[in-house]
Amino acid sequence: MLAASRPLDISLDRRQVLKSLGYRSDSEPSPRIASLVDEYIENARQLLEPRHAYAITNVEWVHDSVAIVGGSTIFQSRVIARLLERCSMVAVFLVTIGNRLEETACRLAEDGLILQSYVLDAIGSEAVEEVAQYVEDMTRETARADGLVIGKRVSPGYCDWDISQQNEIFKMLDATSLGVQLTDQCLMVPQKSISGIIGIGPPEGKVDEYNPCKTCTRQNCLGRR
Amino acid sequence: MGDSLLDLIVQNVTQGRASQDDEGLEEGWEGQPGVTELVQKALDAGVTAEDIINKGLTAGMVIVGEKFESKEYYIPDMLAAAEAVGAAMQILEPHLAKSGMKAKGKVLMATVKGDLHDIGKNIVSILLRGAGYTVKDLGNDVDTRSIVDAVREERPQFLGLSALLTSTMVQMGEVINELRETGLRDSIKVIVGGAPVSEEFARSIGADGYGADGFAAVRLVESLGPSQQ
Repeated sequence: MLAASRPLDISLDRRQVLKSLGYRSDSEPSPRIASLVDEYIENARQLLEPRHAYAITNVEWVHDSVAIVGGSTIFQSRVIARLLERCSMVAVFLVTIGNRLEETACRLAEDGLILQSYVLDAIGSEAVEEVAQYVEDMTRETARADGLVIGKRVSPGYCDWDISQQNEIFKMLDATSLGVQLTDQCLMVPQKSISGIIGIGPPEGKVDEYNPCKTCTRQNCLGRR
Repeated sequence: MGDSLLDLIVQNVTQGRASQDDEGLEEGWEGQPGVTELVQKALDAGVTAEDIINKGLTAGMVIVGEKFESKEYYIPDMLAAAEAVGAAMQILEPHLAKSGMKAKGKVLMATVKGDLHDIGKNIVSILLRGAGYTVKDLGNDVDTRSIVDAVREERPQFLGLSALLTSTMVQMGEVINELRETGLRDSIKVIVGGAPVSEEFARSIGADGYGADGFAAVRLVESLGPSQQ
């Protein structure tokens, strides 16, 4: 089951952009920063080329720190194995907003406009997050139609899931048609791309309740949920 | 005249206003001259470039640093101020060359091999420029050999290395080892930074210091002083 890549609307939530820029939920930026953020949110829309690739496949076998999915793909991670152990299926996805926003942010930085570059980068982060959220919502709806629930969305590089496992996700999806490539260090180019998985299982398995952060000691982790 | 212009430069740096068209970080500044216009006025009034930098731009950035530390200012505010200083430095550069005032030192900056993240490095670079240092930015994903070659050619007093990933920060140690092997290590102070980097990690790879944020990096460079060449 592979959903075709197609465009989608991105709202660019201003509050979330401010959060990426470091503002707490109860604080407003100064007038200069506020106008800049509003102006750049509007201008950024024409720089977005959102695309996604998505596949739902079977979870074959899970034990200890290994999960085998979709026939022969092996995910090695204790957290991923725990996330998938009560799942019957898993959604594998890759989303991107393309190159244009990144190239513009880079040019701004080269011209010494570091503030503008920083704001545009934060908008890009929010945009790609919204595309990933779209995929998550789509997965939730697909699961619900079958009476199933979904687990937390996770990406290689989270917890003990090594970033090199990006390769496994890329093999399962048509990444090149999205224009996303992996570097030797398994970073994605364009950088404003997110890959990952979402477990799908029966409600009695409480797939939706497992949160690895609850038992994790890394209090300062940027990805803490 | 000169003193009041310098005060206005300080105020406008803290308001992050490069030009008269810019809004301030607070209300009510639009239309008034910004840092670049004020710097030009000060030069026309005979204030030296050195005074403009020390008593205007740097003094302003010190206040911005304090406001950032006390969490009154956020990163964008700090960047607005640093940008205003950067724009002013462009106007001042030809005058500096004439007056014979030297930059405080040269800093080479790079994000290490395999790492594509450059925002942190860019922030440190612009703050160092604002503090009067000459900065040569090698970019991101820079391999060890290119960094070492640049140290040999550029002869900077400082090398700033950045990494955002645990998988790439090890490259910083490689750079330091290579500097040692090529006999360049003692000629330069190496500072490191980035989300996964810590004081402990910096010590373990033999770096001279760790900067937790942009202003900490500037303080670190100031405290390490000019290295003995």
